[in-house]
Amino acid sequence: MKIFFKILLTFLLAVAANAKEIKLLNVSYDPTRELYQEYNTAFDKYWQAKTGDDVVVSQSHGGSGKQAQSVVNGLEADVVTLALAYDIDAIAQQAKLLPADWQKRLPDNSAPYTSTIVFLVRKGNPKHIKDWDDVVKPGVIVVTPNPKTSGGARWAYLAAWAYALENNNHDEAKAKEFITKLYKNVPVLDSGARGSTVTFAQREIGDVLLAWENEAHLALKEFGVDKFEIVTPPLSILAEPPVAVVDKNAKRHGTVEVARAYLDYLYSDEGQEIAAKNFYRPRNEAIAAKYADNFSQLKLVTVDQEFGGWTKAQQTHFADGGIFDQIFQPQN
Amino acid sequence: MKIKKLWLATILGAQLAFASLAADNTDTNRDADIEALKQQINALSEKVETLENQRVVDHQAATNSADGQIQELDQKVRILSRDLELDQDAAAVLAKTQPKLIVGSSGFSAISTDSNFVFSLHGLLQVDSRTFFDDSDIKKNDGFLIRRARPIFQGTLYHDFDFRFEPDFGGSSVQIFDAYGNYRYEPWLQLRAGKFKTPEGLEQLQVDANTSFNERSLVTDLVPNRDVGLQFWGDIDGGVLSYAAGIFNGVGDAQNSSNSAFENEVEFAGRLFAQPFKSSDITALKGLGFGVAGTSENGTSSASDLPSTTGGTYGGYTTDGQQQFFAYNPANGSTIVGNGEHWRFSPQSYYYYGPLSLMGEYAISDQGVLNTTTKAEAYLRNTAWEISGGWVLTGENASFNGVTPLHPFDLHNGQWGALQVVARYEELNIDNNAFPVFANPETSASAAQAWSAGLNWYLNKNIRVNASFSHTTFTGGGGVGTTAPPIVTRQPENVFFTRVQLAF
Repeated sequence: MKIFFKILLTFLLAVAANAKEIKLLNVSYDPTRELYQEYNTAFDKYWQAKTGDDVVVSQSHGGSGKQAQSVVNGLEADVVTLALAYDIDAIAQQAKLLPADWQKRLPDNSAPYTSTIVFLVRKGNPKHIKDWDDVVKPGVIVVTPNPKTSGGARWAYLAAWAYALENNNHDEAKAKEFITKLYKNVPVLDSGARGSTVTFAQREIGDVLLAWENEAHLALKEFGVDKFEIVTPPLSILAEPPVAVVDKNAKRHGTVEVARAYLDYLYSDEGQEIAAKNFYRPRNEAIAAKYADNFSQLKLVTVDQEFGGWTKAQQTHFADGGIFDQIFQPQN
Repeated sequence: MKIKKLWLATILGAQLAFASLAADNTDTNRDADIEALKQQINALSEKVETLENQRVVDHQAATNSADGQIQELDQKVRILSRDLELDQDAAAVLAKTQPKLIVGSSGFSAISTDSNFVFSLHGLLQVDSRTFFDDSDIKKNDGFLIRRARPIFQGTLYHDFDFRFEPDFGGSSVQIFDAYGNYRYEPWLQLRAGKFKTPEGLEQLQVDANTSFNERSLVTDLVPNRDVGLQFWGDIDGGVLSYAAGIFNGVGDAQNSSNSAFENEVEFAGRLFAQPFKSSDITALKGLGFGVAGTSENGTSSASDLPSTTGGTYGGYTTDGQQQFFAYNPANGSTIVGNGEHWRFSPQSYYYYGPLSLMGEYAISDQGVLNTTTKAEAYLRNTAWEISGGWVLTGENASFNGVTPLHPFDLHNGQWGALQVVARYEELNIDNNAFPVFANPETSASAAQAWSAGLNWYLNKNIRVNASFSHTTFTGGGGVGTTAPPIVTRQPENVFFTRVQLAF
């Protein structure tokens, strides 16, 4: 009988030794679907060549704020690639799944690519929208998601606010008046950027979509240049979507090493090239120069400069009872 | 119309003017008048033209206004439609965040949004009757009984941790049958701790609600029931190969642990079971399964590790009619205890194909024993085997997990459920060296052979009605009086069983 048990034990160990496939969950924000589909394939090839192991990356997308809350509530992300640092801060603070100084672990504040907010208008630009002033004119219908749930919407809101400050001698009251006018023109609030693209492009609502630069290019690609035009305002905001390993989840899944490599590889030439091809502005200067035609030149303000960082911006504008709550009145 | 009238008035006015001029022959005045009239005509023409232009402008403005209003309305409709769409999406998302309550033929379950937490309530109720024939020497065996009455609580915590608690209110006292926790790393690697079935007998491992007959075969007399311990187990490749290896307190043949045992010895148990064609395309072989199982315990054990000598809850070696026919009870009244190694070995197999079901099992229970009075020692090897089969007359597939009627019982629609015929042959042989030092040949039989036939009616997935007949003959035994085991052993046992079962 002892031999029988030895055979069983040997068999058990052999079974355990054969497990190979590595699974990762990347919880991201709305418009990165296409970027990470392409990137995941590239990373799998890279990792397989390096280690022989397969990496299967599952993607989860939604409004950045909502996604962060899902991770806080138990969605077992190995990595998060969200729209703004505040959302990852929330995961660090509320769920303690990664350290508070997570942003220092990777170059460029853990933002391997940047983006900005542009205008997507209907072909011929019938409402003659060229700058932020045009967006707040009466009768212009603006489509943008809910800043409470969408990172892109928060970037758009802050870009408009920054414009108003620049053009009104940094008068906060006038900026508030400007942003009030803007949101009077917003009849529908989707929860994420992709939803707003659907509202504008597929449901044919509105005159202008305040869009991520990459999302605007994607809309042109998907729906045709004969239907829409991209208008780049002279001033917008430098959006820095950050990435981070969710340490405790990755440790529990035994995926720390591959999760780190997954994010590191975003800074590689191949990772940067994939970002640029998907209309994210790469950090790598050579690759940025190579894809310069994809990106219009404009003045970009930063959250740190104009708003004193994300924590302050969040508290002032988007927290419960903040300025957005004060100025926005649902129209229905 | 107004413009036409104006033109008419202008022309009439001009004619009257010219007529007037004809009457007046003064040339000087005539030229001046003509000039004045020309100017009036020009002025009128300009007014007419202005009015016409105004009319075009007004018409254009009206048209533009209507287009604008249509566009505005179109946008409003689109916005309302999109709002509705978003509300529906939000409602769908909200629904996903609500725990699900499921009530169905598989019991009651509450499942958290992320499926990480599950709580299920199941139940099993078996109401039996046993009627013995030609049992003139044995009375008071007939009657109805609650064979099993078990609420079953099971669930999952934090996705990977399962639990099950199954008490039984069916006997004379409440017993705990299953009470365990299970960590599921992957289906192929799991760890279970608590009280549960020792991985040994095939029919014993089949859940109570799905056995072919009211009572399991004589083979089950030689394998352990539930025991307290720790077990690694898993299903590889969806159950193509299953394994279990565990360490337990150790219980006697057919015994159910009393929830604790304090001894120096432990029992090792292991089982390998293969269904090599389960995932293949060979339909006829998908339901083929075979394997081996064994237990081993070394050391001196108490009498409780042997089959009971007095019948009752732990009935020792019993017949289909649950009458004890063998006990370690020598005539001199000595106490017999386990002594040395006790091991079991059981090759086992089943085959299911369409309505056909077959099951075969062999078991050896090799037990070292000691007569505490005479100090006589021996290793006794008891063996048993059975083969059983069934056929679902109504065409449903048979399986290890029972039969699910294609047309559940519904008199209004002429549906009757599923009907299955079953048959079984079984034997149990006691080692001849057991007599007379370790067992009394007058009261214990040295072998039992039985055949059974029955009819199972599955009204639906939850309700089943059984009827079966079992005939058992014995070799040896057959003493007189009321000394245990009862003297039913001296004549064949003929029992008619019925059962009404509710399982969910």
